[in-house]
Amino acid sequence: MSEWFADVANKFHIAFIEGDRWKLYLEGLGVTLQISIFAAILGVIIGTIVALMKLSTKKNGKRSVLSTIAQIYIDIIRGTPSVLQVLIMWFLIMVQSKNGILVAIMTFGINSGAYVAEIVRAGILAVDYGQTEAGRSLGLSKVQTMWYIVLPQAIKNVLPPIGNEFIVLLKETAIVGYVGLTDLTRVANQVASRTYEAFMPLIGAAVIYFVIIKILTILLEKLERRLHKGDHR
Amino acid sequence: MITVKNLHKKFGTLEVLKGIDYHVKQGEKIVVIGPSGSGKSTFLRCLNLLETPSSGEIWFDGQLITDPKTDINKVRQHMGMVFQNFNLFNNLSIMDNITLAPTKLKLMNEEEAKETALSLLKRVNLSDKADAFPSQLSGGQKQRIAIVRSLAMNPKVLLFDEPTSALDPEMVGEVLDVMKELADSGMTMVVVTHEMGFAREVGSKVVFMDEGIIMEENTPEEFFTNPKNPRLQDFLSKVL
Repeated sequence: MSEWFADVANKFHIAFIEGDRWKLYLEGLGVTLQISIFAAILGVIIGTIVALMKLSTKKNGKRSVLSTIAQIYIDIIRGTPSVLQVLIMWFLIMVQSKNGILVAIMTFGINSGAYVAEIVRAGILAVDYGQTEAGRSLGLSKVQTMWYIVLPQAIKNVLPPIGNEFIVLLKETAIVGYVGLTDLTRVANQVASRTYEAFMPLIGAAVIYFVIIKILTILLEKLERRLHKGDHR
Repeated sequence: MITVKNLHKKFGTLEVLKGIDYHVKQGEKIVVIGPSGSGKSTFLRCLNLLETPSSGEIWFDGQLITDPKTDINKVRQHMGMVFQNFNLFNNLSIMDNITLAPTKLKLMNEEEAKETALSLLKRVNLSDKADAFPSQLSGGQKQRIAIVRSLAMNPKVLLFDEPTSALDPEMVGEVLDVMKELADSGMTMVVVTHEMGFAREVGSKVVFMDEGIIMEENTPEEFFTNPKNPRLQDFLSKVL
Protein backbone atom coordinates (compact mmCIF):
# COMPACT_ATOMS: atom_id res chain seq x y z
CA MET A 1 0.00 0.00 0.00
CA SER A 2 2.66 2.50 1.00
CA GLU A 3 4.58 1.46 -2.07
CA TRP A 4 1.61 2.46 -4.21
CA PHE A 5 1.42 5.84 -2.53
CA ALA A 6 5.11 6.38 -3.05
CA ASP A 7 4.69 5.51 -6.71
CA VAL A 8 1.83 7.97 -7.14
CA ALA A 9 3.75 10.68 -5.31
CA ASN A 10 6.72 10.07 -7.55
CA LYS A 11 4.65 10.29 -10.70
CA PHE A 12 3.04 13.46 -9.44
CA HIS A 13 6.49 14.85 -8.73
CA ILE A 14 7.65 14.02 -12.24
CA ALA A 15 4.55 15.43 -13.90
CA PHE A 16 4.24 18.69 -11.99
CA ILE A 17 7.21 19.52 -9.75
CA GLU A 18 10.37 18.34 -11.47
CA GLY A 19 11.96 21.07 -13.58
CA ASP A 20 9.22 23.43 -12.43
CA ARG A 21 6.82 21.82 -14.87
CA TRP A 22 3.79 23.34 -13.08
CA LYS A 23 4.82 26.62 -14.66
CA LEU A 24 4.23 25.07 -18.09
CA TYR A 25 0.68 24.13 -17.11
CA LEU A 26 0.08 27.61 -15.82
CA GLU A 27 1.36 29.13 -19.03
CA GLY A 28 -0.78 26.72 -21.03
CA LEU A 29 -3.80 27.58 -18.94
CA GLY A 30 -3.03 31.26 -19.53
CA VAL A 31 -3.10 30.69 -23.30
CA THR A 32 -6.34 28.71 -23.07
CA LEU A 33 -8.03 31.35 -20.94
CA GLN A 34 -6.80 34.26 -23.05
CA ILE A 35 -8.15 32.70 -26.22
CA SER A 36 -11.43 31.65 -24.58
CA ILE A 37 -12.23 34.93 -22.87
CA PHE A 38 -11.50 37.21 -25.80
CA ALA A 39 -13.11 34.83 -28.29
CA ALA A 40 -16.23 34.70 -26.10
CA ILE A 41 -16.45 38.50 -26.01
CA LEU A 42 -15.89 38.71 -29.77
CA GLY A 43 -18.42 35.93 -30.29
CA VAL A 44 -21.13 37.72 -28.29
CA ILE A 45 -20.55 40.98 -30.19
CA ILE A 46 -20.57 39.28 -33.60
CA GLY A 47 -23.45 37.04 -32.59
CA THR A 48 -25.68 39.89 -31.46
CA ILE A 49 -25.01 41.91 -34.61
CA VAL A 50 -25.59 38.90 -36.85
CA ALA A 51 -28.79 38.00 -34.99
CA LEU A 52 -30.14 41.51 -35.57
CA MET A 53 -29.06 41.32 -39.22
CA LYS A 54 -30.83 38.01 -39.64
CA LEU A 55 -34.03 39.38 -38.10
CA SER A 56 -34.02 42.51 -40.26
CA THR A 57 -36.66 42.73 -42.96
CA LYS A 58 -37.45 44.95 -45.88
CA LYS A 59 -40.40 47.31 -45.64
CA ASN A 60 -42.67 44.76 -47.30
CA GLY A 61 -41.74 42.15 -44.70
CA LYS A 62 -39.49 40.16 -47.03
CA ARG A 63 -35.97 39.04 -46.14
CA SER A 64 -33.36 41.81 -46.36
CA VAL A 65 -29.93 41.64 -47.97
CA LEU A 66 -28.36 41.85 -44.51
CA SER A 67 -30.43 38.87 -43.43
CA THR A 68 -29.19 36.82 -46.36
CA ILE A 69 -25.59 37.73 -45.61
CA ALA A 70 -26.09 36.70 -41.98
CA GLN A 71 -27.56 33.38 -43.05
CA ILE A 72 -24.62 32.65 -45.40
CA TYR A 73 -22.14 33.39 -42.59
CA ILE A 74 -23.99 31.11 -40.18
CA ASP A 75 -24.24 28.32 -42.75
CA ILE A 76 -20.53 28.42 -43.61
CA ILE A 77 -19.32 28.50 -40.01
CA ARG A 78 -21.68 25.79 -38.80
CA GLY A 79 -21.11 23.69 -41.90
CA THR A 80 -17.36 23.24 -41.48
CA PRO A 81 -15.27 21.66 -38.69
CA SER A 82 -13.62 24.13 -36.35
CA VAL A 83 -10.27 22.36 -36.72
CA LEU A 84 -10.40 23.16 -40.42
CA GLN A 85 -11.38 26.75 -39.66
CA VAL A 86 -8.31 27.12 -37.44
CA LEU A 87 -6.07 25.63 -40.14
CA ILE A 88 -7.59 27.80 -42.89
CA MET A 89 -7.23 30.92 -40.77
CA TRP A 90 -3.65 30.06 -39.84
CA PHE A 91 -2.32 28.87 -43.20
CA LEU A 92 -4.48 30.76 -45.70
CA ILE A 93 -6.02 33.92 -44.32
CA MET A 94 -3.88 35.37 -41.53
CA VAL A 95 -0.60 33.98 -42.84
CA GLN A 96 1.18 37.27 -42.18
CA SER A 97 0.31 37.33 -38.50
CA LYS A 98 3.02 36.19 -36.13
CA ASN A 99 0.66 36.38 -33.20
CA GLY A 100 -0.84 32.91 -32.92
CA ILE A 101 -3.04 33.79 -29.99
CA LEU A 102 -4.62 36.65 -31.92
CA VAL A 103 -5.33 34.33 -34.85
CA ALA A 104 -6.91 31.84 -32.46
CA ILE A 105 -9.04 34.54 -30.84
CA MET A 106 -10.26 35.69 -34.26
CA THR A 107 -11.02 32.16 -35.39
CA PHE A 108 -12.93 31.13 -32.30
CA GLY A 109 -14.66 34.50 -32.02
CA ILE A 110 -15.92 34.21 -35.58
CA ASN A 111 -16.83 30.57 -35.01
CA SER A 112 -18.68 31.21 -31.76
CA GLY A 113 -20.46 34.21 -33.29
CA ALA A 114 -22.46 31.95 -35.60
CA TYR A 115 -23.77 29.86 -32.73
CA VAL A 116 -24.38 32.88 -30.50
CA ALA A 117 -26.30 34.53 -33.35
CA GLU A 118 -28.84 31.73 -33.42
CA ILE A 119 -29.09 31.74 -29.62
CA VAL A 120 -29.66 35.50 -29.49
CA ARG A 121 -32.15 35.34 -32.36
CA ALA A 122 -34.18 32.74 -30.49
CA GLY A 123 -33.97 34.88 -27.34
CA ILE A 124 -35.29 37.94 -29.17
CA LEU A 125 -38.13 35.99 -30.80
CA ALA A 126 -39.09 34.61 -27.38
CA VAL A 127 -39.87 38.13 -26.14
CA ASP A 128 -43.62 38.76 -26.56
CA TYR A 129 -44.25 40.85 -29.66
CA GLY A 130 -46.61 42.99 -27.60
CA GLN A 131 -43.54 44.49 -25.94
CA THR A 132 -42.34 45.76 -29.30
CA GLU A 133 -45.79 47.04 -30.24
CA ALA A 134 -46.11 48.90 -26.94
CA GLY A 135 -42.72 50.51 -27.46
CA ARG A 136 -43.48 51.52 -31.03
CA SER A 137 -46.95 52.82 -30.10
CA LEU A 138 -45.29 55.30 -27.73
CA GLY A 139 -43.24 56.70 -30.59
CA LEU A 140 -39.97 54.91 -29.82
CA SER A 141 -38.03 53.93 -32.93
CA LYS A 142 -37.28 50.33 -33.91
CA VAL A 143 -33.74 50.67 -32.58
CA GLN A 144 -34.80 52.28 -29.28
CA THR A 145 -37.45 49.61 -28.73
CA MET A 146 -34.92 46.86 -29.42
CA TRP A 147 -32.26 48.41 -27.18
CA TYR A 148 -34.29 49.47 -24.14
CA ILE A 149 -37.04 46.88 -24.11
CA VAL A 150 -36.49 43.75 -26.18
CA LEU A 151 -32.75 43.08 -25.82
CA PRO A 152 -32.69 43.35 -21.99
CA GLN A 153 -35.44 40.74 -21.85
CA ALA A 154 -33.78 38.61 -24.50
CA ILE A 155 -30.54 38.52 -22.49
CA LYS A 156 -32.41 36.90 -19.63
CA ASN A 157 -33.77 34.29 -22.01
CA VAL A 158 -30.44 33.44 -23.57
CA LEU A 159 -28.25 33.23 -20.50
CA PRO A 160 -28.44 29.43 -20.09
CA PRO A 161 -27.63 28.57 -23.73
CA ILE A 162 -24.95 31.28 -23.89
CA GLY A 163 -23.30 29.76 -20.81
CA ASN A 164 -23.39 26.45 -22.59
CA GLU A 165 -21.73 28.02 -25.63
CA PHE A 166 -18.94 29.49 -23.44
CA ILE A 167 -18.25 26.08 -22.00
CA VAL A 168 -18.09 24.45 -25.42
CA LEU A 169 -15.83 27.24 -26.61
CA LEU A 170 -13.41 26.87 -23.71
CA LYS A 171 -12.97 23.20 -24.37
CA GLU A 172 -12.81 23.57 -28.11
CA THR A 173 -9.77 25.83 -27.85
CA ALA A 174 -7.85 22.61 -27.14
CA ILE A 175 -7.47 22.22 -30.91
CA VAL A 176 -5.08 25.18 -31.22
CA GLY A 177 -2.29 22.68 -30.67
CA TYR A 178 -2.81 21.88 -34.37
CA VAL A 179 -1.20 25.16 -35.34
CA GLY A 180 1.56 25.06 -32.74
CA LEU A 181 0.08 27.06 -29.90
CA THR A 182 0.97 25.77 -26.47
CA ASP A 183 -2.33 25.70 -24.61
CA LEU A 184 -3.17 23.59 -21.60
CA THR A 185 -3.93 20.43 -23.57
CA ARG A 186 -0.73 20.68 -25.59
CA VAL A 187 1.33 21.20 -22.43
CA ALA A 188 -0.13 18.05 -20.93
CA ASN A 189 0.65 16.16 -24.12
CA GLN A 190 4.21 17.49 -24.25
CA VAL A 191 4.92 16.62 -20.64
CA ALA A 192 3.49 13.15 -21.19
CA SER A 193 5.74 12.47 -24.16
CA ARG A 194 8.81 13.91 -22.47
CA THR A 195 8.41 11.93 -19.24
CA TYR A 196 6.97 8.72 -20.77
CA GLU A 197 4.26 9.03 -18.16
CA ALA A 198 0.84 9.95 -19.49
CA PHE A 199 -1.51 9.44 -16.57
CA MET A 200 -0.70 12.43 -14.35
CA PRO A 201 -0.38 15.17 -16.99
CA LEU A 202 -3.54 14.15 -18.88
CA ILE A 203 -5.68 13.67 -15.78
CA GLY A 204 -4.18 16.83 -14.29
CA ALA A 205 -5.15 18.89 -17.34
CA ALA A 206 -8.62 17.36 -17.33
CA VAL A 207 -9.08 18.33 -13.67
CA ILE A 208 -7.99 21.89 -14.42
CA TYR A 209 -10.53 22.21 -17.26
CA PHE A 210 -13.19 20.72 -15.03
CA VAL A 211 -12.55 23.13 -12.17
CA ILE A 212 -12.49 26.19 -14.45
CA ILE A 213 -15.78 25.18 -16.04
CA LYS A 214 -17.37 24.44 -12.67
CA ILE A 215 -16.43 27.92 -11.49
CA LEU A 216 -17.85 29.40 -14.70
CA THR A 217 -21.08 27.45 -14.18
CA ILE A 218 -21.48 28.74 -10.65
CA LEU A 219 -20.88 32.33 -11.76
CA LEU A 220 -23.46 32.01 -14.53
CA GLU A 221 -26.01 30.58 -12.13
CA LYS A 222 -25.48 33.51 -9.80
CA LEU A 223 -25.90 35.98 -12.65
CA GLU A 224 -29.05 34.22 -13.81
CA ARG A 225 -30.56 34.38 -10.36
CA ARG A 226 -29.76 38.06 -10.11
CA LEU A 227 -31.33 38.88 -13.47
CA HIS A 228 -34.51 37.02 -12.52
CA LYS A 229 -34.89 38.92 -9.27
CA GLY A 230 -37.64 41.16 -10.68
CA ASP A 231 -39.83 38.21 -11.65
CA HIS A 232 -42.35 36.83 -9.25
CA ARG A 233 -44.32 34.59 -11.51
CA MET B 1 -58.84 65.04 -35.87
CA ILE B 2 -58.62 61.61 -37.50
CA THR B 3 -60.03 61.07 -40.97
CA VAL B 4 -60.09 57.65 -42.57
CA LYS B 5 -60.77 57.35 -46.29
CA ASN B 6 -61.57 54.09 -48.06
CA LEU B 7 -59.32 52.02 -45.81
CA HIS B 8 -58.59 48.48 -46.96
CA LYS B 9 -56.46 45.88 -45.21
CA LYS B 10 -55.59 42.42 -46.49
CA PHE B 11 -53.70 39.68 -44.69
CA GLY B 12 -52.56 37.54 -47.60
CA THR B 13 -55.76 36.81 -49.47
CA LEU B 14 -58.01 37.50 -46.50
CA GLU B 15 -59.57 40.93 -46.76
CA VAL B 16 -60.21 42.12 -43.21
CA LEU B 17 -61.14 45.74 -43.90
CA LYS B 18 -63.20 46.39 -47.00
CA GLY B 19 -63.34 50.13 -47.30
CA ILE B 20 -63.77 52.13 -44.10
CA ASP B 21 -64.59 55.82 -44.12
CA TYR B 22 -64.74 57.57 -40.80
CA HIS B 23 -64.09 60.86 -39.11
CA VAL B 24 -63.21 61.38 -35.46
CA LYS B 25 -63.63 64.89 -34.13
CA GLN B 26 -61.68 66.46 -31.31
CA GLY B 27 -63.04 65.40 -27.91
CA GLU B 28 -65.23 62.64 -29.27
CA LYS B 29 -65.36 59.25 -27.62
CA ILE B 30 -65.92 56.70 -30.35
CA VAL B 31 -66.83 53.22 -29.16
CA VAL B 32 -66.41 50.45 -31.72
CA ILE B 33 -68.26 47.19 -31.16
CA GLY B 34 -68.79 44.12 -33.25
CA PRO B 35 -68.36 40.35 -33.28
CA SER B 36 -64.90 38.76 -33.29
CA GLY B 37 -63.33 38.77 -36.72
CA SER B 38 -65.27 41.85 -37.72
CA GLY B 39 -62.05 43.82 -38.24
CA LYS B 40 -62.55 46.27 -35.39
CA SER B 41 -59.14 45.67 -33.79
CA THR B 42 -57.43 45.79 -37.17
CA PHE B 43 -59.19 49.08 -37.87
CA LEU B 44 -57.93 50.51 -34.58
CA ARG B 45 -54.39 49.23 -35.17
CA CYS B 46 -54.37 50.84 -38.61
CA LEU B 47 -54.99 54.23 -37.02
CA ASN B 48 -51.45 54.36 -35.60
CA LEU B 49 -50.06 52.15 -38.34
CA LEU B 50 -49.29 49.16 -36.12
CA GLU B 51 -50.91 47.50 -39.12
CA THR B 52 -49.99 48.94 -42.48
CA PRO B 53 -53.14 49.55 -44.55
CA SER B 54 -53.24 47.86 -47.95
CA SER B 55 -54.84 50.96 -49.44
CA GLY B 56 -56.69 54.07 -48.39
CA GLU B 57 -55.77 57.20 -46.51
CA ILE B 58 -55.52 58.11 -42.84
CA TRP B 59 -55.20 61.75 -41.87
CA PHE B 60 -54.27 62.82 -38.36
CA ASP B 61 -54.22 66.49 -37.39
CA GLY B 62 -54.05 67.53 -41.03
CA GLN B 63 -51.20 65.18 -41.83
CA LEU B 64 -51.46 62.22 -44.21
CA ILE B 65 -49.88 59.52 -42.04
CA THR B 66 -50.24 56.73 -44.59
CA ASP B 67 -47.74 58.63 -46.75
CA PRO B 68 -44.48 56.62 -46.58
CA LYS B 69 -42.56 59.87 -46.13
CA THR B 70 -44.32 60.64 -42.85
CA ASP B 71 -42.20 60.05 -39.74
CA ILE B 72 -44.59 57.65 -38.05
CA ASN B 73 -42.61 57.69 -34.78
CA LYS B 74 -43.35 61.41 -34.46
CA VAL B 75 -47.05 60.84 -35.16
CA ARG B 76 -47.31 58.03 -32.62
CA GLN B 77 -46.00 60.33 -29.88
CA HIS B 78 -49.38 62.03 -30.08
CA MET B 79 -51.49 58.87 -30.32
CA GLY B 80 -51.50 56.75 -27.21
CA MET B 81 -52.50 53.11 -27.34
CA VAL B 82 -53.73 50.77 -24.63
CA PHE B 83 -53.60 47.04 -25.37
CA GLN B 84 -55.69 44.09 -24.35
CA ASN B 85 -52.67 42.41 -22.76
CA PHE B 86 -51.34 45.60 -21.14
CA ASN B 87 -47.84 45.06 -22.59
CA LEU B 88 -46.05 46.78 -19.74
CA PHE B 89 -42.30 46.50 -20.20
CA ASN B 90 -41.42 43.51 -18.03
CA ASN B 91 -37.79 44.51 -17.59
CA LEU B 92 -38.57 47.93 -16.15
CA SER B 93 -40.08 49.20 -12.91
CA ILE B 94 -43.43 50.96 -13.07
CA MET B 95 -41.71 54.32 -12.83
CA ASP B 96 -39.36 53.46 -15.69
CA ASN B 97 -42.24 52.09 -17.75
CA ILE B 98 -43.87 55.50 -17.57
CA THR B 99 -40.79 57.69 -17.98
CA LEU B 100 -38.94 55.69 -20.66
CA ALA B 101 -40.60 57.17 -23.73
CA PRO B 102 -40.83 60.82 -22.59
CA THR B 103 -37.17 60.89 -21.56
CA LYS B 104 -35.68 58.87 -24.44
CA LEU B 105 -37.65 60.93 -26.94
CA LYS B 106 -36.32 64.04 -25.19
CA LEU B 107 -39.76 65.47 -24.47
CA MET B 108 -38.99 65.82 -20.78
CA ASN B 109 -35.92 65.62 -18.61
CA GLU B 110 -35.67 62.92 -15.98
CA GLU B 111 -37.11 65.07 -13.22
CA GLU B 112 -40.09 66.37 -15.15
CA ALA B 113 -40.90 62.87 -16.30
CA LYS B 114 -40.79 61.56 -12.74
CA GLU B 115 -43.01 64.34 -11.50
CA THR B 116 -45.50 63.74 -14.29
CA ALA B 117 -45.44 60.02 -13.58
CA LEU B 118 -46.04 60.51 -9.87
CA SER B 119 -48.97 62.85 -10.36
CA LEU B 120 -50.51 60.48 -12.92
CA LEU B 121 -50.00 57.52 -10.60
CA LYS B 122 -51.77 59.46 -7.90
CA ARG B 123 -54.67 60.04 -10.24
CA VAL B 124 -55.16 56.28 -10.63
CA ASN B 125 -54.43 55.56 -6.96
CA LEU B 126 -51.24 53.61 -7.59
CA SER B 127 -48.63 55.95 -6.11
CA ASP B 128 -47.29 53.16 -3.92
CA LYS B 129 -46.44 51.00 -6.94
CA ALA B 130 -43.83 53.27 -8.51
CA ASP B 131 -40.96 50.96 -7.63
CA ALA B 132 -42.79 47.69 -8.26
CA PHE B 133 -42.30 45.54 -11.35
CA PRO B 134 -45.16 44.61 -13.71
CA SER B 135 -45.10 40.97 -12.59
CA GLN B 136 -46.04 42.09 -9.07
CA LEU B 137 -49.28 43.78 -10.12
CA SER B 138 -52.80 42.54 -10.74
CA GLY B 139 -54.32 42.78 -14.21
CA GLY B 140 -56.42 45.80 -13.31
CA GLN B 141 -53.40 47.58 -11.86
CA LYS B 142 -51.33 46.76 -14.93
CA GLN B 143 -53.96 48.20 -17.23
CA ARG B 144 -54.25 51.37 -15.19
CA ILE B 145 -50.46 51.72 -15.38
CA ALA B 146 -50.62 51.14 -19.13
CA ILE B 147 -53.10 53.99 -19.43
CA VAL B 148 -50.84 56.19 -17.31
CA ARG B 149 -47.88 55.27 -19.51
CA SER B 150 -49.76 56.52 -22.57
CA LEU B 151 -50.93 59.65 -20.78
CA ALA B 152 -47.38 60.56 -19.80
CA MET B 153 -46.77 61.32 -23.48
CA ASN B 154 -49.56 63.88 -23.34
CA PRO B 155 -51.33 62.42 -26.38
CA LYS B 156 -54.02 64.09 -28.43
CA VAL B 157 -55.95 60.88 -28.81
CA LEU B 158 -56.01 57.55 -26.98
CA LEU B 159 -56.75 54.26 -28.73
CA PHE B 160 -58.05 51.38 -26.60
CA ASP B 161 -57.89 47.85 -27.99
CA GLU B 162 -60.28 45.78 -25.85
CA PRO B 163 -58.75 47.14 -22.64
CA THR B 164 -60.86 45.04 -20.29
CA SER B 165 -61.09 41.75 -22.20
CA ALA B 166 -58.14 40.11 -20.44
CA LEU B 167 -59.22 41.14 -16.95
CA ASP B 168 -60.88 39.24 -14.15
CA PRO B 169 -64.50 40.44 -13.94
CA GLU B 170 -63.95 42.16 -10.62
CA MET B 171 -61.13 44.26 -12.06
CA VAL B 172 -63.03 45.55 -15.06
CA GLY B 173 -64.66 48.28 -13.00
CA GLU B 174 -61.48 49.94 -11.82
CA VAL B 175 -60.18 50.23 -15.38
CA LEU B 176 -63.47 51.51 -16.75
CA ASP B 177 -63.58 54.10 -13.98
CA VAL B 178 -60.22 55.46 -15.08
CA MET B 179 -61.42 55.53 -18.68
CA LYS B 180 -64.59 57.34 -17.69
CA GLU B 181 -62.63 59.93 -15.79
CA LEU B 182 -60.41 60.39 -18.83
CA ALA B 183 -63.44 60.81 -21.05
CA ASP B 184 -64.84 63.45 -18.70
CA SER B 185 -61.56 65.33 -18.86
CA GLY B 186 -62.13 65.83 -22.58
CA MET B 187 -59.69 63.31 -24.02
CA THR B 188 -60.40 62.16 -27.58
CA MET B 189 -60.81 58.39 -27.44
CA VAL B 190 -61.40 55.50 -29.81
CA VAL B 191 -62.37 52.41 -27.86
CA VAL B 192 -62.82 48.89 -29.18
CA THR B 193 -64.69 46.99 -26.49
CA HIS B 194 -67.36 44.49 -25.58
CA GLU B 195 -68.50 46.60 -22.62
CA MET B 196 -71.95 47.72 -23.75
CA GLY B 197 -72.54 49.63 -20.53
CA PHE B 198 -69.45 51.70 -21.17
CA ALA B 199 -70.48 52.31 -24.76
CA ARG B 200 -73.89 53.55 -23.69
CA GLU B 201 -72.64 55.68 -20.82
CA VAL B 202 -69.43 57.20 -22.17
CA GLY B 203 -69.56 57.01 -25.95
CA SER B 204 -70.41 60.08 -27.94
CA LYS B 205 -70.82 57.81 -30.95
CA VAL B 206 -71.13 54.06 -31.18
CA VAL B 207 -69.93 52.25 -34.28
CA PHE B 208 -70.93 48.73 -35.26
CA MET B 209 -68.51 46.86 -37.47
CA ASP B 210 -68.93 43.50 -39.15
CA GLU B 211 -67.33 41.78 -42.13
CA GLY B 212 -64.79 44.54 -42.56
CA ILE B 213 -67.16 47.47 -42.94
CA ILE B 214 -68.98 49.93 -40.69
CA MET B 215 -72.56 48.69 -40.66
CA GLU B 216 -74.06 51.34 -38.44
CA GLU B 217 -73.02 54.45 -36.54
CA ASN B 218 -75.16 56.47 -34.20
CA THR B 219 -75.43 58.17 -30.83
CA PRO B 220 -75.55 55.61 -28.01
CA GLU B 221 -79.20 56.26 -27.33
CA GLU B 222 -80.38 55.67 -30.90
CA PHE B 223 -77.85 52.89 -31.39
CA PHE B 224 -79.12 50.75 -28.54
CA THR B 225 -82.82 51.60 -28.52
CA ASN B 226 -83.42 51.86 -32.22
CA PRO B 227 -80.89 49.80 -34.20
CA LYS B 228 -81.64 49.79 -37.93
CA ASN B 229 -79.25 47.28 -39.44
CA PRO B 230 -80.61 43.70 -39.10
CA ARG B 231 -77.12 42.36 -38.36
CA LEU B 232 -76.83 44.84 -35.48
CA GLN B 233 -80.30 43.97 -34.20
CA ASP B 234 -79.26 40.35 -34.16
CA PHE B 235 -75.95 41.16 -32.43
CA LEU B 236 -77.58 43.29 -29.76
CA SER B 237 -80.24 40.69 -29.05
CA LYS B 238 -77.47 38.25 -28.22
CA VAL B 239 -75.25 40.46 -26.10
CA LEU B 240 -77.72 42.58 -24.18
